[in-house]
Amino acid sequence: MKRITLAILLLGIFANAQNTPIKKDTLNVVLDEVIVIAAKKKKIETEMKMAVSVDEFLASSDNISFIKRGAYAWEPLLNNMSTERSTVTIDGMHIFGACTDKMDPVTSYVESNNLSDIEIKSGQEGSMHGATVAGSINLKRKSTSFGLNKKWNGGYQTGYEFNNDQFFNLGKLSYSGDKLVVDGSVSYRRAENYTDGNNDEVEHSQYKKFNASLGVAYKTSPLSSVRVDAIFDKAKDVGYPALPMDLSLSRALITSVAYKRFFEDGPIKVWDTKIYFNAIEHYMDDTTRPENLVHMDMPGWSTTYGLVSKVNFKKDDYASEVQLNAYNNLSIAEMRMYPQDRSERTMFAYSWPWVTTSYAGLSMSNSLDVSNISQLNFGGTLGLNYNYSKYVEFNWIFHPGAPQKKTRFLPNIYASYQLNMSGFDFSVGGGYGHRAPSVSEGYGYYIYNSFDRYDYIGDPDLKNEVSYEVNASAGFKNKRASIQAQANYFYIQDYIIGRILSTGSPMNYQSVGVKGYTSLDYATLFNFSLNGSYAILQDLHWKGSLTYARGLDENKNNLPFIRPLSYQTSLHFSYGKFGFLTSLNGDLKQVDYSPEYGEDETPAYSNWNVSADYTFFIKDHKTVLQVGAENIFNTYYSTYADWGNIPRMGRNVFTSLKIDL
Amino acid sequence: MRLLHLYVIAVFVMVVSCTIDKTDYEAEISTETTEYIDFEEATSITSGDYTISIEALNGSLYKGYNELRLKITNTQTNVDLENSEVAFLPIMTDANGNKVSCPHEYNLPFDATEEYYKGYAVFTDESDTTVSWQLYIGFVDNDQSYMIDHTITVEEQTNLNLNMTAFTGNDNEQYFIALVSPQSPNVAENDLVAGIYKYNQPTDPSGTFPDPSQFSYSIVQNHTLLLDPRMPEPSMGNHSSPNNEDLTQQSDGLYHGVVNYTMTGNWTLNFILQDENGQTIKGTEVSTEFTPGIEGEKSELYIDILF
Ligand SMILES: [Cu+2]
Repeated sequence: MKRITLAILLLGIFANAQNTPIKKDTLNVVLDEVIVIAAKKKKIETEMKMAVSVDEFLASSDNISFIKRGAYAWEPLLNNMSTERSTVTIDGMHIFGACTDKMDPVTSYVESNNLSDIEIKSGQEGSMHGATVAGSINLKRKSTSFGLNKKWNGGYQTGYEFNNDQFFNLGKLSYSGDKLVVDGSVSYRRAENYTDGNNDEVEHSQYKKFNASLGVAYKTSPLSSVRVDAIFDKAKDVGYPALPMDLSLSRALITSVAYKRFFEDGPIKVWDTKIYFNAIEHYMDDTTRPENLVHMDMPGWSTTYGLVSKVNFKKDDYASEVQLNAYNNLSIAEMRMYPQDRSERTMFAYSWPWVTTSYAGLSMSNSLDVSNISQLNFGGTLGLNYNYSKYVEFNWIFHPGAPQKKTRFLPNIYASYQLNMSGFDFSVGGGYGHRAPSVSEGYGYYIYNSFDRYDYIGDPDLKNEVSYEVNASAGFKNKRASIQAQANYFYIQDYIIGRILSTGSPMNYQSVGVKGYTSLDYATLFNFSLNGSYAILQDLHWKGSLTYARGLDENKNNLPFIRPLSYQTSLHFSYGKFGFLTSLNGDLKQVDYSPEYGEDETPAYSNWNVSADYTFFIKDHKTVLQVGAENIFNTYYSTYADWGNIPRMGRNVFTSLKIDL
Repeated sequence: MRLLHLYVIAVFVMVVSCTIDKTDYEAEISTETTEYIDFEEATSITSGDYTISIEALNGSLYKGYNELRLKITNTQTNVDLENSEVAFLPIMTDANGNKVSCPHEYNLPFDATEEYYKGYAVFTDESDTTVSWQLYIGFVDNDQSYMIDHTITVEEQTNLNLNMTAFTGNDNEQYFIALVSPQSPNVAENDLVAGIYKYNQPTDPSGTFPDPSQFSYSIVQNHTLLLDPRMPEPSMGNHSSPNNEDLTQQSDGLYHGVVNYTMTGNWTLNFILQDENGQTIKGTEVSTEFTPGIEGEKSELYIDILF
């Protein structure tokens, strides 16, 4: 059996230095001739909880923080930057939420049992999938290998969480034949309102989510295969306590057809091409909020189709990946307001006036082993971004004469150098990149932001946001202990943010004014994290981490949603078939808050959590039972990024059971 | 490739099965308004050897501003009468028998390229059982004067974007403001066109009816119509729009400005009419406060529109 080792580029030591939840060994995918679709046995679970939602899993990563509008669909912030600045993809496929109020980040359309891992790249190294400033989050779907010894595999997970009466069932099944592979998963979660630390119910925090996925791969030759994948996700009756509206229905269909071919000889190792299509419908509902003065319908649609094609080369010390990425997205959002006398004419406008975004980019990433202990990674992307606003007259109201079509040229480059010797590792890197304004930033029309209570207006003529970035990390690791420090600094020119407009008056009745997306001359962002681990005894492990970030605008005022100094420390003890974990995490007082952008000072909080698990076998099936509690002291708190200061969940006892079939 | 088939079918089913339909924007915009661009014959008068054909948009005369095109034909020779002196006077008789006119072009100029006489009338009321409208048209052919009169029907204006208002100014003169365009506004920047007219108080006693000096109107010259569009609906809290431009007179005699409508629905165009010296003839400033739940206050001079 000839083995081809493909070093997936950009990664290696540096990715490790990023301290993403991905272990280093998963980054070097070992591909067997027979195992055409790489199988990765990476579990989506945190140390604390084995049955986590995608959001909870992402939260365990250092450079991810969240804006929370309720219990469901948290908006992931990468390097303390909002989702406009990062690219979030599923297996490299671009998907765009259909909600103007960011109720549906891409991460809300998958479920933990159809993912194998989540790949997070910081800064310009994440530009492989498309132009970015903050980095990229790629959600990788499960795909079983061909010809496994065990033809049928499966798992079932169920659990109950007491605080919000959450009940979930996650099931998955896979078949691995010599020519055919089938992966399927089904899940259903439902939760009622949660209660905060004062034992008060947080109204409108319930949700129901159904998710199913199916993947079928067929081996067309010993070295090639075709794979068809689909995810169907449906969320119903989802409450957003921090927003003036809830969600009645959100549906997503995410599909792709991929062709993959391996090459035994020569520098080209693998060619992987995929065409994809996804459609999202999002229907908000305010009939659950009778206190609202105005009844509104706000449906949204987002449809994307695209192509990803990549080729991997490897020769001696040099490895490279070339990727072609193209997609086309149509985003539509409507708002219809009903007058108090319902017989009167309704009032209609588009909040996204049929905005098309087309992107085509050619990316390359390279890694060169300079010596046994050092590696150079470098790469870049040349992208072309085109926007078209079908009903541009909406944009003309605030920006008379703005162009209906806009083409932008988006270059991104990066380089980093890594050194790894006798347990020590160091890296330094830098990057430069552009990003285009998002649909809301460019073409949004009276999008109500309930955080600062302004209606937001996009500007089609916004300049590209340009990021200059440096990063560095240093670490040490031996058998018992590890410590790692990393830092990055972004200087972002023409930083896009909402500024109060002197013209125009609010449209949404809760609003206090109109803000237009404008470019600051620049903004700066600094992120720092420190991680350590220590094996006190063979079965007793300590882990800790500390993060700090600071974001400033051109006038040295604070940027919003920057995480204050935060910490996490945990102890894990295993005894036979039992495992125990206790952790403490919290944020210090948010000193550097931004009143200008609607923030107030958030006090410090800390949370203490415990869990215990027991592993046993039912016949041959490995079974794990877990019981635990989060926020044991039932602390009443809300974090700096809780929209409208909604309180977080109080004490939550959780139980779950997992059986491998 | 059966898999691909299944895939395509699944995608198709999903795409066509959206639970809420997208709004058809073009249909949405035209539910309350209809745009008329074609001139059709509204009425035809035959008297002696002459036939007068009056064309208006959509072949109807409505309350408000009407652009008119007249053709006078000699039915004997079948020759159109060109470059004649044509006089045009609409007279309304109300329930009490009072006779008044409305803003109109009295001497109709001949448009040689289009071959018609061009004029307008701003009918101030629709015809009904008590209100009737009569047209008096005079012309000269072969040095002989003719006078023809004819009853017409003025229909109700269903398009509020062609609404009008009549008022007495602070100078005790009678004024009329009639919207001319846009007939069917968009959620967009719209070029707003209005005609502003004034009744010329007669200085001499009335002669024999119809005495044009008793029914004289003129276009108000070089005034400014200050504009502040707002949504009166209480839940809209006195919502307004940016980048509007006050109306000023252009070479066509009409007043042109820009109004931005940020969404469909009911809008009030709040006006202040100022003379060439900036003296207010009518109208008051309205609050710019955002007051959710309270119906927007209107200027004492305003026109409501709906689209
Ligand atoms: Cu939404």
